[in-house]
Amino acid sequence: MEITKSIQDQSATLGLVGRLDTITAPRLEEELKEILSNVTELVLDFEKLEFISSAGLRVLLSAQKVMSRQGSMRLIHVNEAVMEIFEVTGFSDILTIQ
Amino acid sequence: MTVNLKGRIDSNNAAQVEKDILTELQGSSGQPVILDAADLQYISSAGLRVILRLKKAHPELRIINVNSEVYEILDMTGFTEMMPVEKAYRVVSVEGCEEIGRGANGTIYRIDQDNVVKVYNNADALAGIQHEREVAKLALVLGIPTAISYDVVKVGDSYGSVFELLNARSFSKILANEPEKMDWCVQEYVKMLKTIHGTLVPAGKLPDMKETVLGWARFMQGYLPEAAGRKLLALVEAVPHDDHMIHGDYHTKNLELQNDEVLLIDMDTLAVGHPIFELASMFNSFVGYSELDHSVIRKFQGFDFETGSSFWHKSLAAYLGTNNQRKIKEVENKARIIGYTRLIRRSIRRKGLESETGRAEIALWTEELLALLAQTDTLLFHANELELEAVTENLQEVQTFVEDHLEASGCSMKAQMQIGVAVEEIFVNIANYAYHPDKGNATVRVEVSGDPVCVTITFVDHGVPYDPLAKDDPDVTLSADDREIGGLGIFMTKRIMDDVAYEYKDGQNILTLKKNL
Repeated sequence: MEITKSIQDQSATLGLVGRLDTITAPRLEEELKEILSNVTELVLDFEKLEFISSAGLRVLLSAQKVMSRQGSMRLIHVNEAVMEIFEVTGFSDILTIQ
Repeated sequence: MTVNLKGRIDSNNAAQVEKDILTELQGSSGQPVILDAADLQYISSAGLRVILRLKKAHPELRIINVNSEVYEILDMTGFTEMMPVEKAYRVVSVEGCEEIGRGANGTIYRIDQDNVVKVYNNADALAGIQHEREVAKLALVLGIPTAISYDVVKVGDSYGSVFELLNARSFSKILANEPEKMDWCVQEYVKMLKTIHGTLVPAGKLPDMKETVLGWARFMQGYLPEAAGRKLLALVEAVPHDDHMIHGDYHTKNLELQNDEVLLIDMDTLAVGHPIFELASMFNSFVGYSELDHSVIRKFQGFDFETGSSFWHKSLAAYLGTNNQRKIKEVENKARIIGYTRLIRRSIRRKGLESETGRAEIALWTEELLALLAQTDTLLFHANELELEAVTENLQEVQTFVEDHLEASGCSMKAQMQIGVAVEEIFVNIANYAYHPDKGNATVRVEVSGDPVCVTITFVDHGVPYDPLAKDDPDVTLSADDREIGGLGIFMTKRIMDDVAYEYKDGQNILTLKKNL
């Protein structure tokens, strides 16, 4: 998985490319750890995300917990297959998906 | 008592013909009467009345060697239903014709551009022809693309059946002349093999290959050390009955490319049974027969030993759905056990022990067989199986293995992803917990079957007994703050798949996932 990153003031956008699974989820976790303390707005761009497993969901849930306290988090460009996973797990109700 | 009918029989000569026949039949009382119509060109109603009167006096009357014009008259007038009428067999010569195939019971020649004839070499050729017609029809009805003979002909002292085979080339010919098409041939050959092995045959319609192989194993008892002989018999006996079709002589001369269609021919060995029996015969065709003298294969297939070996190994890998050399070798060795058994028996029955070449062959095959018997505990195997170390680093290999099968079955991207989520969950679970803190292997098996299509993925490990399904489902209605991190994986797997089952059996955790596509 590749992660593209752009940060302006306190707003960060991360673009995820490829698979967010057991192997790659720790890298997103690292990336988030580095930037989260300084941002109030987090945007995750899923346009190029092909796959998400429960390991990926866990990272999203931790990030959501942090961002609920200090600002906002939203997901954009979520494809149908990923959306289905969010729906099955109830994540579609707790994440802000645009 | 045979009476020959000649020329034309009509109102001009019917009375005379009848008188002649009765003269000939004098003193033949009791014997069945056969009218040989080989030289009969025409028969009118006056002639037919003569036959009717004869039939009354001789109820057993038969007419043989009837040409097609006369047959039509007899058929139209209902005579073919009143008495046995045998058509004349067209006489076909195969001298100078190209041999395009050779099977256990016959040889196939091309007699002209559109037709081939299979000449039977067994004594009871007509029964063989009848059997092959029946099984070919059965196979066709069950969905196997094959050719059915439309005529029976006389070839020398034997009989043959004629098939239409237009512009067709055997896979052997393609392999011999266009080596660059090897991979394409492997792909089509394996596709057909899977179609055959995926075909369920109604009970009793085809012979059971296991019975045949048991016969070979029993024959070997006198030629192997006692313990080895017993083990061979036990291995074959332990193969479960299987009602799926096997071809029985599946090599590349029996697969024809007709225009763009792949056709299976030479159906007389069709049987039901476990696929290991088929693999054994395939091994023999491509490797076993020619193992001592590598030039043998060229005579039969037209290509060399290296091409044959390479084709066999590639086909076996594709059939098993794996590139894992250890796994391929393991299944090949099982096939070789039955393959050598057959070869040794065949050679001994053909007086192999009386010639130097024969003895050398039998010695080589026996040595191989004994070595294999010593290291084999079962002839069973699973296709589409991947065994590897259960560590998360191998997750991608597992996913690729599963995806390859799903793609081949035309599975949608959405369903592929869902299955991928479940596969990751189960495999990572095994990697993290099954053998902790040690390491061990996991086996992943993929089966795509049925109509509607259903995919079944099975995970097997030998780790500590653990039922991942026993955990309570998480509450997915809670808010982000109240949700626990984790515990979602198995829940997702249950929701995504149509069926998830766990069992602990023979020291193995077996988890089965099913999804209807």
